[in-house]
Amino acid sequence: MSKDMKFLVVDDFSTMRRIIKNLLNDLGYANVAEADDGTTALPMLQAGNFDFLVTDWNMPGMPGLDLLKAVRADARLAKLPVLMLTAEAKREQIIEAAQAGVNGYVIKPFTAETLKEKINKILQARAA
Amino acid sequence: MNSGITALQKEFGASIAALAGALAAGHEELFLSELDALMERREKQLFGELRKLATGLQTALLRFSIDSRLVDLAEKGIPDARHRLDHVIKLTDEAAHRTMDLVERSGPLAERTAARAGELVATWQRFRARSIAVDDFRRMIQAMDAFLEATRVDMEKVRGNLAEVLLAQGYQDLSGQIIRGVMQLVGELESALSELLRLSAGSSARRNEASRTDVRRGLGPLVPGIEHGAAVSGQQDVDALLSGLGM
Repeated sequence: MSKDMKFLVVDDFSTMRRIIKNLLNDLGYANVAEADDGTTALPMLQAGNFDFLVTDWNMPGMPGLDLLKAVRADARLAKLPVLMLTAEAKREQIIEAAQAGVNGYVIKPFTAETLKEKINKILQARAA
Repeated sequence: MNSGITALQKEFGASIAALAGALAAGHEELFLSELDALMERREKQLFGELRKLATGLQTALLRFSIDSRLVDLAEKGIPDARHRLDHVIKLTDEAAHRTMDLVERSGPLAERTAARAGELVATWQRFRARSIAVDDFRRMIQAMDAFLEATRVDMEKVRGNLAEVLLAQGYQDLSGQIIRGVMQLVGELESALSELLRLSAGSSARRNEASRTDVRRGLGPLVPGIEHGAAVSGQQDVDALLSGLGM
């Protein structure tokens, strides 16, 4: 996968979106769009050729888990890599996200290194 | 003679006299119609009392449910909220110190780079004017080598520190989520108290079902010391759990 990949970062807190966007830029991914919840993100995903989705869980409107399920239910988006980046820490939630088809799960607070490692792991698994 | 018996005499005296009169006179029809009227009046009173009793019971039950919700909020919700807000203070405190530490560590590196560049400027200008002695030129080259290497190392550190400063701002998201949870609790408290007020004012109140935190919507960040059930304690736990699921 090339550095031209198009990312969508979904989080209701603009500070967190900025942080993730900056970290992605540091990793060489310059093409990053933002959305503040699932309701705004889903039409963007359906309209634009996104290569990677990074989403929070706890958001007003459509939460991240519902967005993940909607993505997996949409034939054109079903294969989209999805990384959950959230403070949600209950074991049942992580299991639910895994069952819904999440590709990676990073818990907040997180480090730049963890984000990089999980993105690379997902992309390697895609390439394999 | 008490007022109760006076009221009874006033209410039933005439009817009883009429009844007794009809009976003495052998006036069967009159007697029966008076008796019916008396019983009907008594029944109406009885139903009125029953209705009052039922309303009272309903109010008591409602008040009890609001009271128990308030007790729950006071015993668990409020201490939890205090704990959560304490944690917010801790998060903001840590983030502020982390940011200031990184700024304090970066400042001297930038200063050092600027100072060394300043030292080189004078000799560099002589070199550009072609008025530099050979020995000075050699020293300048050595100084330049050292400067470039030191600048590379220092600025890489500054860049790393800036990335850390950026990451430290994540506290805003985490503390914001916690504060939202406390605001929800304050809202519940407000509605329970206003229902109680309405009830005391005598008007009928309908209990709003307190919105339950929903696992599907998300519960927000963990706060140390508050029971969250089975939860992971960090990224390592998440990774272990997911690899256990075959991911």
